[in-house]
Amino acid sequence: MENALRLLRRNGAVVVLILILVAVSTAAPGILRWRAINGLLQDNAPLLILIVGATLPILLGCLDLSIAAMASLAAVVAAMLSPVLGSASVPVVVAGAAAIGGLQGYLIGRLQVPSFVISLGALGIFKGIAMYLTAANMVGITPGIWIYDLLGSRSFGMSNSFLLVLITAGLFAAMLRFTNLGRNIYAFGANEIAVYISGVRRDLVRSFAFAASAGCAALGGIMMISQTMFASATVANSLLLPALVGVVVGGTAISGGVGGVLSSLIGGLIAILIRVGVTISGLPPESQDVAFGITILIAVALTTDRAKIGVVK
Amino acid sequence: MTTAFSLEGISKRFGEVTALDNVSLELNEGEVLGLIGQNGSGKSTIMKVMAGLHRPDTGIIRVGGKVVQLRSPLEAAQAGIGLVHQEQSLITSLTVAENLFLDKPAGSTSLGFYRWANLRDRAKHQLDKVELDIDPFTPVSELSFGQRQIVELAKVLSLEELVHGHMVILFDEPTAVLNPPEIQALFGQIRRIKHRSSVVFVSHRMDEILEISDRVYVMSDGRNVATRDKEHVNVDELYELMVGKQRVNRTDRKPREAHIGAEPALTLKNVTVPGEIDDISLTLAPGEILGLIGVQGSGAETILRTIFGIADEWQGKIEYFGAPLTIDSPAEAVAKGIGYLPAERKTEGMIRNTSVSENVAITYGWQHGRGAGLISRGKERGMIEGWVRKLAIKTPSIGHRIDNLSGGNQQKVVLSKWLFGKTLKVLMLDHPTRGLDPGARGDLFAVIRELADQGLAILLVGDTLDEVLTLSDEIIVMKDGRVSARITDVQAAPPSEEELVKAMV
Repeated sequence: MENALRLLRRNGAVVVLILILVAVSTAAPGILRWRAINGLLQDNAPLLILIVGATLPILLGCLDLSIAAMASLAAVVAAMLSPVLGSASVPVVVAGAAAIGGLQGYLIGRLQVPSFVISLGALGIFKGIAMYLTAANMVGITPGIWIYDLLGSRSFGMSNSFLLVLITAGLFAAMLRFTNLGRNIYAFGANEIAVYISGVRRDLVRSFAFAASAGCAALGGIMMISQTMFASATVANSLLLPALVGVVVGGTAISGGVGGVLSSLIGGLIAILIRVGVTISGLPPESQDVAFGITILIAVALTTDRAKIGVVK
Repeated sequence: MTTAFSLEGISKRFGEVTALDNVSLELNEGEVLGLIGQNGSGKSTIMKVMAGLHRPDTGIIRVGGKVVQLRSPLEAAQAGIGLVHQEQSLITSLTVAENLFLDKPAGSTSLGFYRWANLRDRAKHQLDKVELDIDPFTPVSELSFGQRQIVELAKVLSLEELVHGHMVILFDEPTAVLNPPEIQALFGQIRRIKHRSSVVFVSHRMDEILEISDRVYVMSDGRNVATRDKEHVNVDELYELMVGKQRVNRTDRKPREAHIGAEPALTLKNVTVPGEIDDISLTLAPGEILGLIGVQGSGAETILRTIFGIADEWQGKIEYFGAPLTIDSPAEAVAKGIGYLPAERKTEGMIRNTSVSENVAITYGWQHGRGAGLISRGKERGMIEGWVRKLAIKTPSIGHRIDNLSGGNQQKVVLSKWLFGKTLKVLMLDHPTRGLDPGARGDLFAVIRELADQGLAILLVGDTLDEVLTLSDEIIVMKDGRVSARITDVQAAPPSEEELVKAMV
């Protein structure tokens, strides 16, 4: 029984993905056509990149609730900077977001405040600033900027945004597997105190994870505006719940130490198919959030290591 | 005299460790029984059995001649047994009155609401009994530790109205946080309640035990080794009894030939951590093993944690190879070449749910990598397997989870983490053999000696007397945060075990 449970935990995401794919494609066989798949991946590349980034804080046992608000803010700022900086607006915004994320990570240790509170505060701040900057209007990006055109188009028949998701996920997966930082991230999630006593700079590890999560979020916001060509203060706000669903359904435990970026990508595909499933079943679009809410409850209940957190509050 | 309470043939095991081995105890009406023994001798376990917090594996408990089962603190309370906690069990944000009746079935409530006036009166009555003149509605957070200890007592004494007949009041190291006047006030209360209760009093301090007890009950290695009436106490004999099995076999003893460096690696000058250690000075040279020993709360661990950068604010001076040392975090300590094996293996030592190899490589793995933060698991593997062989760590493979190893092997894995690097100069070991079986202890002793022979400076807080006597070149005995004895040249002229115990309690 315990072995079966462990096996399900390790490969559960793949099984769920196949089941849900079979269910959805039975109802709507068209979904399996290359064009449909490609379109789905292109539309959902922003969600997937958020999922890739959000995995890192969760591997530590932390939670970054500010990712969707950061994506919206980054979209707004990138759009406003595009006439001035052109293509350079993208690296500038991503680097700025990573710096702010790193600061969030640092503040968790410095102020001794749990990550979900710090990032909830950040969520409010980012949302407010985005609203203030746009005065609740749409901001268009200047057409003809190379980098936005690139992100909005395709190479080898695949969306460039989705290719960027794959490259980023590959880089993070390699970092987690082959670098000292990656080793420290997993160990931090397994026992933060022991890792601290072992002489690891836990403040740096935490800052890196939150910088990565914020940087990816900004990239997600930029991918969105490269498709729509305009930004609004709330453009990415609905992505928070599906992004967290993707990470935990993929098998990264919110108690930390277990999981990875590639499993999160599988979780992301599941989240996309849940969306599709809700749409083709004829339910109103609002039921998406209900579906995601139920999914995250089930996934967390199945994957959390309660021995580690002691008291559940 | 009538027996108020008795334990007959009580045994209790925790996993591989026998905490209580066929222990019997008789408590007469109106007597104070002083319970004394070293760390790990079973004092706390026996108190917990009496208070209904642990259920014994075998044995009988009698209250007033009747056999009883104490399945919970509530059942113990119904039998008239109350434990005055060592750690403060009061909820500091609530008032004294609320705390007094928190654990009572008949609180001053009506339909779930407090009847405040009634609560005040009843609390006042309890506080009068212990002569504590404070407003019952004072929040506990505003009381001194001495006052809190008296409130703890009042909380237990309020059993009086709930049970008929005789009571048994257990004190688990109540004086640890008190100053001398507060201790005297507590003793006054203990003498006062003797008319209708029996008292069991645990303390690390010999002078207190002798002052308050009618009889002294000595524990060692989970057994009762002697019971002495107050009139017939021979203090030297008590020290001897407390040593128990922790005696070094002097005929088989192989003194270590140390090659101690001339320049000290680490020098502490008048180091003070308020409330924990007071004016500590010591030097430690490469190749030397300095053993610290003391009872729980003596401050020996605090010295290690201060050097490692994880203690509270400290004053004084620490020098490291002649230069002043300022360390704010373990990362800085490790960068300078100082390692620390924590006493709390499960929470601070091992990284649970992780493989043996990751546990070994966490600190210094990068030193064997390809540079630029890239690690080389292939190169690490060979070295980790080398340490597994050398320390005789029993594990199916280095990819095995550390959780599934035995305690001794887990400890060896955590130790190898520090041996894995190339830059370690000082290694601090906090109770390294705690909870290990004799075989694993012997292995670990050999490793520690070999490390010192290779020039590492080792600062050790010992769990047992034989541990520091076997390993150390110098021993420092700690008591109440101060150095109470310093013995040099231990290998050539070892002190007696009694001499150490005397300085400890």
